[in-house]
Amino acid sequence: MAGKKKLRIQDLAKIREKTKSLMTIREGEGRARVTVHMGTCGIAAGARDIMDALLDEISKAKVQDIIVTTSGCAGLCSAEPMATIELKNQPPVKYGDLTPEKIKKIFVQHILGGQMVTELVLAVGSETVY
Amino acid sequence: MITFRMNGLDVKAEEGWSVLETAKFYGLEIPTLCFNEGLTPHGGCRLCLVEIGEGLKTKLVSSCTYPAEEGLVVRTDSKRVWAARRMMIELMLAMAPGSKVLQDMASRFGVTQVRFTSRNKECVLCGLCVRMCAEQMDAKAIGFQKRGLNRKISTPFDMRSEECRLCGACMYICPVCQLRCQGPNAEGVLCNGCLTMDPSCLDHYDDLQCWMYDAGRCGTCVREKT
Amino acid sequence: MKHYRAHLLVCAGTGCVSCGSFKIKEALEKEIKKRKLQDEVQVVATGCNGFCERGPIVLVQPDGIFYQLLTVEDVPLLVEEHLLKGRPVKKLMYVPPDEKQPVPKMKDIEFFKHQRLIVLRNRGRIDPEKIEEYIAFDGYEAMGKALAEMTPETIIAEISASGLRGRGGAGFPTGRKWAACAKEKRTPKYLICNGDEGDPGAFMDRSVLEADPHAVLEGMVIGAKAIGAVKGFIYIRHEYPLALKRVEIAIAQARDNGLLGEDILGAGFNFDLEIVEGAGAFVSGEETALIASVEGKIAMPRQRPPFPAQKGLWGLPTVINNVETWATVPNIIRRGADWFQGLGTESSKGTKIFSLVGKINNTGLVEVPMGITLRDVVFGIGGGIPKGREFKAVQIGGPSGGCLPAKLLDLPIDYESLTAAGAMMGSGGMIVMDDKTCMVDIAKYFLNFLQDESCGKCVSCREGTQRMWEIVRDITEGKGKESDLPLLEELAQVCKDASLCGLGQTAGNPILSTLQYFRHEFEAHILDKRCPAGVCTKLIRYVVLSEKCTGCLSCKKACPTEAITGSLKEVHSIIQTKCIKCGACQEACRFEAIESQRDEAIQVI
Ligand SMILES: Cc1cc2nc3c(=O)[nH]c(=O)nc-3n(C[C@H](O)[C@H](O)[C@H](O)COP(=O)(O)O)c2cc1C
Ligand code: SF4
Ligand code: SF4
Ligand code: SF4
Ligand code: SF4
Ligand code: SF4
Ligand code: FES
Ligand code: FES
Ligand code: FES
Repeated sequence: MAGKKKLRIQDLAKIREKTKSLMTIREGEGRARVTVHMGTCGIAAGARDIMDALLDEISKAKVQDIIVTTSGCAGLCSAEPMATIELKNQPPVKYGDLTPEKIKKIFVQHILGGQMVTELVLAVGSETVY
Repeated sequence: MITFRMNGLDVKAEEGWSVLETAKFYGLEIPTLCFNEGLTPHGGCRLCLVEIGEGLKTKLVSSCTYPAEEGLVVRTDSKRVWAARRMMIELMLAMAPGSKVLQDMASRFGVTQVRFTSRNKECVLCGLCVRMCAEQMDAKAIGFQKRGLNRKISTPFDMRSEECRLCGACMYICPVCQLRCQGPNAEGVLCNGCLTMDPSCLDHYDDLQCWMYDAGRCGTCVREKT
Repeated sequence: MKHYRAHLLVCAGTGCVSCGSFKIKEALEKEIKKRKLQDEVQVVATGCNGFCERGPIVLVQPDGIFYQLLTVEDVPLLVEEHLLKGRPVKKLMYVPPDEKQPVPKMKDIEFFKHQRLIVLRNRGRIDPEKIEEYIAFDGYEAMGKALAEMTPETIIAEISASGLRGRGGAGFPTGRKWAACAKEKRTPKYLICNGDEGDPGAFMDRSVLEADPHAVLEGMVIGAKAIGAVKGFIYIRHEYPLALKRVEIAIAQARDNGLLGEDILGAGFNFDLEIVEGAGAFVSGEETALIASVEGKIAMPRQRPPFPAQKGLWGLPTVINNVETWATVPNIIRRGADWFQGLGTESSKGTKIFSLVGKINNTGLVEVPMGITLRDVVFGIGGGIPKGREFKAVQIGGPSGGCLPAKLLDLPIDYESLTAAGAMMGSGGMIVMDDKTCMVDIAKYFLNFLQDESCGKCVSCREGTQRMWEIVRDITEGKGKESDLPLLEELAQVCKDASLCGLGQTAGNPILSTLQYFRHEFEAHILDKRCPAGVCTKLIRYVVLSEKCTGCLSCKKACPTEAITGSLKEVHSIIQTKCIKCGACQEACRFEAIESQRDEAIQVI
């Protein structure tokens, strides 16, 4: 923060809103959890780009409570890059063969909107595909 | 004017008086050692203790430092006060058995044993000399040093002080550097030569009830020390 | 600032820093860069997590994974496995005593599970050197509310209604203290934050100052508005360099942002803070001594009344509160007195920080709700006594606290219960002792501390603590007399009764409580001349157990004074008059044939 300008009470709330969005994940809670599978195969298939695109979207959307984690190889290398979306109190949903465009769509429609992007879904629920 | 109760008496004190000053004004005797009228009170010797408060919530405070407060309830000679006073005398005697002031005090308050090994020092750290030197002689040549067992009175760096003009006021006021008691047991830790009587009312009333306020010295309601 | 998917919260409290946490932080940053994760993962230095014995500590959020006892060598593995592949590293996790499976998440670890963080809510969560992180977690909201919406009266009413009591020792109701000072007409008025913390082994105030300095600042601004103070002083001991640094940074940041100084938050209120560095003794934490010290005089307590609220710093009305007390204030203003009221017991509200040390599995700093039982702290959070030994006592309240025995384990922790049991809340020290601890020795230890720290003004305290210490020392050396115990009790009582300040007034506790609950140990030392716990060297006797001795001669060789006789394959024996009780023979014997505390040993004399 610059620091030259003296804060007013309403500024305090603004700073809080701005920084809080970046900090809530320190509480370990959120409305949604996105797991990007970052095994060797995932990274080779472009999981990195998916991650970048996702973080970018989250920043742009200014949402606070989305947790992004990574996991190892999901054992389904053919469908990589993959990601799992868990909304609060809902079964996890797996998406495969992602591209930055697809993850953006998933972000808007599923994570923010709560509607599964059915055409991209690999599996729903804790039933394993691997 | 501040009004409060002392030994069941309603007393009035001027703003700024201590409990001790008020007691003196009314002729109530409270023993003191580190107090001197010409010097600021120090509150170190704890001989001037009085019990304040009522019921279960009473406590002991040093009357030389405690300000007279509206509505205060003070007892100058309760059992608890005497027990603490006797212990203070015993502790100080074990420091400096040579002090006649303390020896007299021991007989007066019926201290008949010293259960601690004597340190045979020549100071009880009452601080009278320090305040005398600073406040009356305007020299500030001596002061307290260190804490706990190592506490002592000395000049800075223990060297001959330029500030001291050898006026002797510090020795004059010291309760220890005086001729020691020449009573029957002059060499012992405790002399008790002038000890005879003990007021008997303390055990009954938990208060010294002597209306002559002579702490048992008239001999009417005292019992012989055993 | 940007959105990171993971935050690595590296503990940078004094404990972890001394174990090298800054090196860990550097290594993490380097490794993260190497793996090109620097835009996804943020490394943050936080304040003490309270579990310093496990340091260096790193918490990975949002997963809540708790890594401990890290070394720089562990860093590449951690980054590769956890951050890249999302596989938390088991071997760096915490394994509870007597168990094999690690506990990955911080919130599942017993040590953290039972705690209730209010004062320490930001510990291990924010970077204490960044004001915006404090603000993000509702920091300065309470101050804004106090300055814009509340009057001094409503602030004091709120604090009074919350039931907050001073955390510095005596437990005086904070609202009452503020009200008394607000009533005074003379100005200027001052505030002091007491961060002297002279108790040996205590570090709760240090931890608050290090982990969340802004909370103390915020509390003080609120207090300033309540009593109408213009200036405050934060007294921090010189031995706390990290706390000093963080508070300094916090004050500078607050000033830069208009949260301290003139016209705070544009609400037309002026207040500024200054740090006073103290190099004091234990007694300089006493409020009147501390005030003298801030004024530049010798730190010696003086008579109260007049209380600081009437005549404090430079004779002007002053409110002095403990660090923890100040840090609690914003929470009450922000969340309301009713919320605070709901925590704790009838007479003691809220939470209290304790430093849990001694013979206990999990040592550290814990914040628990008032009213929690000693058992929950010792066996729940603390994880019980190491090596399956037996719990004997817990010493509570700092050097002049008391020792409570096993039968009081279900005692709820609150001001009144502790005092009634002969201990006190004090500043929150808690030392756990097992059956190898000698209570006479413990009493001696604390008396030694007190006689050394007594400022020496009062005969009752200076001479009283010294004489008590001498008597107890003699008892531990086998020179005790039967008349010693009543004399000790008399001295302890008079010391409490007759002394001027809190030090002398509580100095009898170590003796009175140990005599109350462990009198038999004193009697064993005095009457039988033995130390049941086998601690007081002068009262131990080493003997050879004839049924176990193989006559191997190793003890004989080990003995420096040739106190052991015997020849090969014969039962050896120890000549007590020559033995200097060094214990070398016991260590040398491979057959556990040398005992110090068996009946045989006791019957020798
Ligand atoms: C010998 C002695 C040492 C003390 N040390 C401290 C200390 O280190 N920190 C502290 O906050 N209070 C200490 N106190 C208590 C203070 O005198 C005072 O009560 C306290 O700072 C008031 O704040 P509170 O009402 O918030 O507890 C000490 C008291 C005594 C008698
Ligand atoms: S003799 Fe020296 S030390 Fe003593 S009072 Fe006089 S000036 Fe002070
Ligand atoms: S030298 Fe005398 S006057 Fe000075 S402190 Fe000692 S006893 Fe008191
Ligand atoms: S009670 Fe002890 S520490 Fe306190 S003023 Fe008296 S001598 Fe000093
Ligand atoms: S070392 Fe042990 S076994 Fe060997 S002689 Fe000594 S007591 Fe006996
Ligand atoms: S304790 Fe030391 S001195 Fe005594 S017998 Fe054993 S080795 Fe020898
Ligand atoms: S005369 Fe009051 S304490 Fe000494
Ligand atoms: S300093 Fe890291 S846990 Fe205390
Ligand atoms: S063989 Fe040497 S002591 Fe046993």
